[in-house]
Amino acid sequence: MKKNTIFTISAIVVLFLFLLYASHNFSAYNIRILNNVAIFLILAASYNLINGVTGQFSLEPNGFAAIGAYTAAILTLTPAQKSAMFIITPMVPWLQSVHMAFLPALIVAGLVTAFVGFILGFPVFRVRGDYLAIVTLGFGLTIRVVSNNTISITNGALGLKGIGNYTTLWWSWGWAVLAMIVIMRLINSEYGRAMKAVRDDEDAAIAMGINTFRVKMTAFVTSAFFEGVAGGLLAHLITTISPTLFTFFFTFNLLIIIVIGGLGSMTGTAIATVLVIWGSELLRFVEQPMHIFSLTIPGIPGMRMVIFAILLIIIMIFARDGLMGQKEFSWDSFFKFFKKNKKLAK
Amino acid sequence: MVFNKLDKTYIFRYLATNMFGGVFMRRLFGVVTFALFALFIISSTGFSSKAYAKEIKIGVVWPMTGPIASFGQMNWKGAQIAESMVPKTKDGATLKLILLDNKGDKVETANAVSRLITQTHVKAIIGAVASGNTLAAAPIAERYHIPLLSSSATNPLVTKGKKYVSRVCFIDPFQGSVAAKYAINNLHAKTAAVVVDIAQDYSVGLAKFFVQSFTKMGGKIVARTFVQTGDQDFSAQVSAVKAANPDMIYMPTYYQEASLFTRQAKQFGLNQVIMGGDGLESDSLLKVGGKAANGITFTTHYDPKATSGKVGKEFLKRFKAKYKINPDAMAALGADAYLVMVDAINRAGGYKATSEQINKAIRSTKDFHGVTGILTIVNGDAIKSAVVRKVENGKFVYVTTVNP
Repeated sequence: MKKNTIFTISAIVVLFLFLLYASHNFSAYNIRILNNVAIFLILAASYNLINGVTGQFSLEPNGFAAIGAYTAAILTLTPAQKSAMFIITPMVPWLQSVHMAFLPALIVAGLVTAFVGFILGFPVFRVRGDYLAIVTLGFGLTIRVVSNNTISITNGALGLKGIGNYTTLWWSWGWAVLAMIVIMRLINSEYGRAMKAVRDDEDAAIAMGINTFRVKMTAFVTSAFFEGVAGGLLAHLITTISPTLFTFFFTFNLLIIIVIGGLGSMTGTAIATVLVIWGSELLRFVEQPMHIFSLTIPGIPGMRMVIFAILLIIIMIFARDGLMGQKEFSWDSFFKFFKKNKKLAK
Repeated sequence: MVFNKLDKTYIFRYLATNMFGGVFMRRLFGVVTFALFALFIISSTGFSSKAYAKEIKIGVVWPMTGPIASFGQMNWKGAQIAESMVPKTKDGATLKLILLDNKGDKVETANAVSRLITQTHVKAIIGAVASGNTLAAAPIAERYHIPLLSSSATNPLVTKGKKYVSRVCFIDPFQGSVAAKYAINNLHAKTAAVVVDIAQDYSVGLAKFFVQSFTKMGGKIVARTFVQTGDQDFSAQVSAVKAANPDMIYMPTYYQEASLFTRQAKQFGLNQVIMGGDGLESDSLLKVGGKAANGITFTTHYDPKATSGKVGKEFLKRFKAKYKINPDAMAALGADAYLVMVDAINRAGGYKATSEQINKAIRSTKDFHGVTGILTIVNGDAIKSAVVRKVENGKFVYVTTVNP
């Protein structure tokens, strides 16, 4: 037990040493991809908490990420920037004058999103299964409509521009590691076991005396908090946000990640995030014209999506529960795997 | 090796029992993972391009897939025609266009631009189509001092306060004022109703600038109503406009909404002229709008009829020969983005020009004869004439050219 904690801590240290190296030696492009991976890891892991671990099939992360992104961006923009940007209707005065540093802005973004999640939880968890998916899908769509129409707060379709580029590797990966630790600890706690019980059989869980509403709400609010923070990080990475960024496809991307990684497996989510976010960028070369010896193949735009889709199909055929299923990476099985291999080698 | 019947059934049984979780799957996974890794390694070592002796790499970021793909594809077609017209700089260096798809998405745009600058080491970048995406690309271009030349981002905020972002299209305040002038002088309108697509930054911005110019010139806005991208039923908006009884309707949306709106307007007996911006220019407007589309007037960048000058005529000829259709505004702007870039590189010293010098040359472009007319770039914004087009008998016809 204690040994494993040391291993985990040293793995995190190694990760941060790698980030230190990366921040000095990697090109801006690779750093951007690493940032994207971290942000989508937070989003996917917290989404998996509600979808995979608690088994509540919901479709709201685009809404939560939008709330987080807007809150954080509004808080870090200076009053002068805001007045220059709101060209249709001026911003409401009390928001116009607020200004905050990056970290408090992110935390407020997380808290606001968690609060919205909390309020949303009451109507949403009155329904189960497909109906839950439809209600949360509706929420995601509503947030888009609201952000388009509350022009004096969100600047409508024009979106927010000139947001400070504060998201560095440290911020994004710091939050990613924190999110992973919190979620993993939650899963392995009494609450986490209750969540899994709700997923496996909700009626049985009720019969066993589990307050399923409270359990679902815990998962939902935690998930909302981290999705809000990730939204804030995303806004400060790409420096401009508008309602079109948070369409249903945003949720759909996350859904692909968690299904590939394995519903209910956080380490699976981590692997899948790297595969999906980094992989789709790496596959860009297939769209470039290629010269192999004297053969010239013209680039076909969209080709990488085709190849990506084929890879996804292959994964879904041969690993129906995703890469990791419901299993988690653990040091014990990691070492056991190597021991076994050694034995085989002998 | 030939299997007999027994062997075959054995193999199937083996597969059925071992496919999931068994040795077979583990091996297959090994193969798949290996293939993936091989793919990644190949991609990172980059066997993609043959090195030419003298070439200048120009990055291109346009949406080739996704919701606004048709714009990006037309841009690219135009740019390719322009490339065939002027393939080399004056000192003989080949211009190599490296196209990356941004799917019309902000995150992808930022990724693509940063890849082009720090991995491919391009000297300059052309793109993107939408203002929102160009804004996502701008901070990266600014940071690395790489010129970014947009083909069709018309929002005024795109170049505001930027040193390395420019464009070859006019901006929305100009487009709005041209429409207002045309409404007052040619349509003799005193009152107008404005229909805005609340979900499009393009529409919201353009409507604002039209209203500004229109009221300044003595016109009056009698109704203002909102639609949303994807709407199908406009009866509420049509009746609101009808109740106000304006002299004309300004509807700066994209063609999908405008084509449905005009049909429903005619059904309600609302026969005033509908005006719009460059977002209306699409064959879908004619197809979906049908007879109801007749009379729709819009401001845009290009009309084949208005083409004068050697470059424009040559472009038109080559484009028609290759694609068998008339080029639209997007194709013409794509071509102009490329031509302005080549011109700037030539003036900056050809093959040896640095990004900094190219940027300076782009931003000091003066009286350049392009496909869409004569353009001058001031503070990154192109000052050029706009074209007014109109739908007549199911066809776009040229009405007039308005100079700045």
